[in-house]
Amino acid sequence: MKRVAGLLAFAFALLTPALASAQDSNATLIQNATILTITHGNIEHGSVLIQDGKIAAVGTDLKAPAGATVIDASGQFVMPGIIDCHSHIAVEGSVNEGGPAVSSMANIADVLNPEDISIYRDLAGGVTVANILHGSANPIGGQTVVIKLRWGKSPSELPFQGALPGIKFALGENPKRSNFQPPPGIPPRYPATRLGVEEVIRQAFTEAREYKKQWDDYNQRKAAGEQNLMPPRRNETLVPLVEVLEGKRYVHSHCYRADEILMLMRVAKEFGFKVRTFQHVLEGYKVADEIAASGAGGSTFSDWWAYKAEAYDAIPYNAALMSERGVIVSINSDDAEEASHLNQEAAKAIKYGGLSSNDALKLVTLNPAIQLGIDSRVGSIDVGKDADLVIYNHDPLSVYAVVQKTFIDGQVYFDRQRDIAQRPELAKEKQALIDKEKKAGEEQKKAAEEQKKAAEGTGKKPDKKPEQKKKPPTEIESHGAVAGGAL
Amino acid sequence: MRFSTRLKFVILFISIFCISPAHAQNAPGVYAIKGAKVFPVSGAPIENGTVIIRGGKIVTVGANVEVPADAQVIDAAGLEVYPGLFDPFTQMGLNEIGQVSATVDIVELGDFNPELVAATAVNPASAHIPVTRASGITHVISAPGIGGFDQSSGGFITGQASAFNLAGWTMDEMQIRRSVAMVINWPSIRTRSFDFATFSFKTKPYDEAKKEYDNKINELSDWLDRARHYAQVKEKGSPSLFERDLKLEALIPVVEGKLPVLVVAGEARDIRNAVEFCAKQNLKMILADGSQAFKVKDLLKEKKIPVILGPTERTPDEEDMPYDQQLTQPEDLHAAGISIALSSFGTAFSRRLSQYAGTAVAYGLPYDEALKAVTINAAEMFGIADQIGSIQPGKIANLIVTNGDPLEIRTEIRYLFINGQLTSTGNRHRDLYEQYHKRSQAGH
Amino acid sequence: MKIRLKREYIVLAAAMVCAVGVLSWVRAARGEGGEPRYFAITHARIVPVSGPVLEDGTVVLAKGLIQSVGTNVSIPPEAWVIDGKGLTVYPGLIGAGTDLGLPKPPASAGGGRPAIATTPTGEPILGPEGRPGTSPWRVAADEIKIDDKRIQEWRNAGFTTALTTPDGGIFPGQGTIIDLGGDRAGDFIVKPAATLQVAFTPIGGLFGFPDSLMGTIAYVRQVFDDTSWYGQAEPVYEANVTKFERISYDRTERAIAKAQSRNEIVLLPANTSIQILRALKLTGEWKVPAVIYGGQQAYAVASAIAAQKMQVLVNLKWPEVAKDADPEAEQTLRDLRFRDRAPSTPAALAKAGVKFAFYSDGLTGPKDIFKSLKRATDAGLAPEAALRAITLDAANILGVDDRMGSIQPGRIANLVVTDGDIFNEKTKVKQVFVDGRWYPIHEEPKPSDKPGDTKPESAGTSATAVHGEVGR
Repeated sequence: MKRVAGLLAFAFALLTPALASAQDSNATLIQNATILTITHGNIEHGSVLIQDGKIAAVGTDLKAPAGATVIDASGQFVMPGIIDCHSHIAVEGSVNEGGPAVSSMANIADVLNPEDISIYRDLAGGVTVANILHGSANPIGGQTVVIKLRWGKSPSELPFQGALPGIKFALGENPKRSNFQPPPGIPPRYPATRLGVEEVIRQAFTEAREYKKQWDDYNQRKAAGEQNLMPPRRNETLVPLVEVLEGKRYVHSHCYRADEILMLMRVAKEFGFKVRTFQHVLEGYKVADEIAASGAGGSTFSDWWAYKAEAYDAIPYNAALMSERGVIVSINSDDAEEASHLNQEAAKAIKYGGLSSNDALKLVTLNPAIQLGIDSRVGSIDVGKDADLVIYNHDPLSVYAVVQKTFIDGQVYFDRQRDIAQRPELAKEKQALIDKEKKAGEEQKKAAEEQKKAAEGTGKKPDKKPEQKKKPPTEIESHGAVAGGAL
Repeated sequence: MRFSTRLKFVILFISIFCISPAHAQNAPGVYAIKGAKVFPVSGAPIENGTVIIRGGKIVTVGANVEVPADAQVIDAAGLEVYPGLFDPFTQMGLNEIGQVSATVDIVELGDFNPELVAATAVNPASAHIPVTRASGITHVISAPGIGGFDQSSGGFITGQASAFNLAGWTMDEMQIRRSVAMVINWPSIRTRSFDFATFSFKTKPYDEAKKEYDNKINELSDWLDRARHYAQVKEKGSPSLFERDLKLEALIPVVEGKLPVLVVAGEARDIRNAVEFCAKQNLKMILADGSQAFKVKDLLKEKKIPVILGPTERTPDEEDMPYDQQLTQPEDLHAAGISIALSSFGTAFSRRLSQYAGTAVAYGLPYDEALKAVTINAAEMFGIADQIGSIQPGKIANLIVTNGDPLEIRTEIRYLFINGQLTSTGNRHRDLYEQYHKRSQAGH
Repeated sequence: MKIRLKREYIVLAAAMVCAVGVLSWVRAARGEGGEPRYFAITHARIVPVSGPVLEDGTVVLAKGLIQSVGTNVSIPPEAWVIDGKGLTVYPGLIGAGTDLGLPKPPASAGGGRPAIATTPTGEPILGPEGRPGTSPWRVAADEIKIDDKRIQEWRNAGFTTALTTPDGGIFPGQGTIIDLGGDRAGDFIVKPAATLQVAFTPIGGLFGFPDSLMGTIAYVRQVFDDTSWYGQAEPVYEANVTKFERISYDRTERAIAKAQSRNEIVLLPANTSIQILRALKLTGEWKVPAVIYGGQQAYAVASAIAAQKMQVLVNLKWPEVAKDADPEAEQTLRDLRFRDRAPSTPAALAKAGVKFAFYSDGLTGPKDIFKSLKRATDAGLAPEAALRAITLDAANILGVDDRMGSIQPGRIANLVVTDGDIFNEKTKVKQVFVDGRWYPIHEEPKPSDKPGDTKPESAGTSATAVHGEVGR
């Protein structure tokens, strides 16, 4: 008996590891593709193993653990998920709190909307991470947040855990409102010149310094046990600015003209903080060395120009020229549709300025990751990083490349074949709901008509056939339409 | 000064003029582009081909062509030759800086402006022209009234669109045809509109919106009837009793079916209404924008309406539309037998035309069809295909010589021919790049 | 004794006597003077909500309160006995969110929001210190007008109680719980300051503050910060007036601080699932005793609501396509699903164990409320749960279930007596008791009358229930 038990135990012990790995259903192996690692070259006929949401292995001869999903990506290309450093998707309501000159109390994180269809469409363009920014209506705008495009999850699951929060500044024409006339009755708002834009920022940080001093002083004295202290007010406008001073919040500043780029660097120096990224920075090429020296990143367009006076000197060589001078450069979208082909936009830096293919790809992967301080987690295909990946059917720098699958944390969030396969089903569901509503509307209409007839006591029998749409004119119908469903 | 030195000086002076962007065109020359792979579009590609240009026109195209003695020879070994790309819906020359109204001449006041012609106000010195041709677009149509990226649209009959080359000192030199179509901005039935006075959205009942729409259409119909009557009076009536009306005069070719109407409409209902209206009124219709053309493709096919699609890369109109609705639409319409052309609908983004075409190929449009959609198709729609759109003898020599597939993003234009002239690809952007490149290099 | 009276004087005197008689009779029937204070409804079906149904029960009302309920209760001799055979007695219905008794604010000229919000002195509000759309000191109780015709309409449909709230702005004011009957406005008030209303409406008008949802939320956050600061700073100042600069007077801070000291519930708006999740998060952050109102997409997030023990006031105006909408306008699958599933929200909340009540934002009257309720029960809400939501649970959420919402001894005598199941559209309301005041409802006119006509009141009745249509 003991022997049998022992044998059984032995057999069970043998089985258990096999059972355990059979449970390894959160492993995926993408094999046989060209892997664009970004950091250590391209791997032909390569594979990537994903486990528990991370990149577990990258190489040429990887074996799939038992139970893993295997994706044969022969002839296809795998690159890191695209990171869009300037996005306004997934926001409920206006992206601008445009009234005050300083609207830092507003916070994008309060109004994230994971049901925005733009999230899905950008996933279909290979975007996995986006820097969701406040608009450019104010010299100092609202607080910003980095998200992963986890379509279908709850709002609290969107933010990129561990990414520092940001705040949006805006310089130039937009915050000084020079390009539109508010309707009559709206008074003009300071600042109306670039001179005033600078002063708004300096004034705000002067107040922030004071505020910080007040609170530090209060906290110190309280900690020392002092009684009868008047607490300072908490000021939600100044709190994020103090965080900037303390290096806990990144400054992303929309800017165009070379002189205003230098202006902000000067102001930042005066108050002891650093600009994290210059956004748009369309004249960044004119002061590329200064930007490189300041350590700020430049996040720019591929080839937008001439839509505003300050964009008239914009050139598609901007990314390449700034990169050449040592600026960490990313190419961004500022637009949900543009974000769906950032791989194409990155390719333009090869033609305009001669970046290498890998450096071009960096503009939408590793570089924005560095700019957002998340490069230890994303931006390249390296073991240990998050499994944020995109599979293309062609070289992503080719105009012919189409995203096949987009992974975030190892999960497939976009699958082109699945999307196409689901279309008839969704259309059917939609038609069924439309028909249901229409029928309910017609029934309502009929019921109301019958009630009216009964109330009027005309004694006319209601039509027996409900499908018959053309009724002979009755007294009721000649009174006009009875309220009913519009469909 | 010695003669040869003076000659060199003159030659140098002239060559500077030749390559400097603002002065891109001089007297017509004779060129031979040799040893390239030539894609005529009108026929099969020619390996190791040669194209001879003379007097602004293509003279010969072929594999074993004799090079004239006076020709400037372009060694195009390893390169490819294509017809210059055609962007058939832009505001080129009418729009310099979108938000600076002094530089914008797209939208005139008033709903009925048939007598306005885009060519009147195209600025040949616009910085957009050299920028755009550097990406291979050699000729465009400019249309009044419809905004690009930054502009609002306005008006109903907004004016006449003009076709011209992207090189020349004056419009007379650039013009291909002064008036190629009458632009009609088809009204929509709008139940929801933005009211600037209160800065809020206002809704109105459908019936009211429909009535407003009907009134507008009736007004359009009245204009056309009056134009017909005017034509009759002009032709048959007594000269002493005839009062000239510039607007009605401009509509005569439209009602006679000689000048097509370029109807700008995106929503399916608007397209349907426009097609039915034009059929009833016997107008020759070309559809522009067509973002929901796929919903009415049977009608478009039946009535043989050609479609100039707006940018391939744009957001689907409706939330439930497949994410690639606009990307697959070119193939969708082409497969249904509808003639399509691609366009940028803008000015600053005109240089993305090849990108739009390439993306359409990525999502199903056959390559050759995409090439046609940016060269010959639009020329046929506007009746100028005898002049332009393919590499054939007798046509205007608008050509691009590339280092590869012109639809690929990385491809560069090595040589550019417009109106039979070798044209510089220099432009504002390259100038600024070179200028600031020097800044970096000096003293660092 | 022979009294010689002029003929005119006799007529006048007679008229006066008649008038006084009629008036006092009318007054009596309307509850002024001579009003009966004791009632007994016998042999009725009694639905207490707080306990099991009594098929053959008696309820005794005395001086505005329920004295006893049961199958064998003693009936005081003073009681006006109402034979309840064939009738059903429910607790008076409670509408948890109305504007009954409050006059409509004047429509803004030209429609749409004003171009920019301004301070009372006309300056544009560009920041939180301008307190845009903020009047939390407004208490509905101070503004009630009891001649609102809708009060009677609601009462006739069986509602005895309603939460009524001022409207307009981000902090419109505090809601009042009123009983729908009485002689003077003061009689109506059950709980004057019951709820603190919040609305996330960006009233700034695109150039003022706030003109975005996030700005509005940030503003509310700042107001709660300021109130909290005031609560700390004021006592410190008062104890040390020679040490500190004087605190500025801010009516908002004081009003909200007072409301918070009463632990007044804060009504936060949230209708879509995303908004509901956001409201849950903000409640945790702001540490306020919140109740969500709107809640129509709660079916998607019922377990999250339950996990945070949040309560919901569900808007009964189910989403639907506007009647004059463009017939070819895009219908999104999202909207279609929402319209289809919204009425299932109450059932989903009940299943998840979330306490909820109903309110009628924009519905024209109680008739529509019952229609909406029917859609909810058709979509899976048990009728008992529906009844509970418009009686005891509503009272509980509003903090007055110790006083009303069920038929138990000691509770306020708010009852509705019907001739059948209250959710059946053929059922008629026979009598309504509000604070023990009796409002009988008489027969509807015959169908031969034109719809919309009101039958002239027979003298002495205080209620008509004429709507020209069968049912409510």
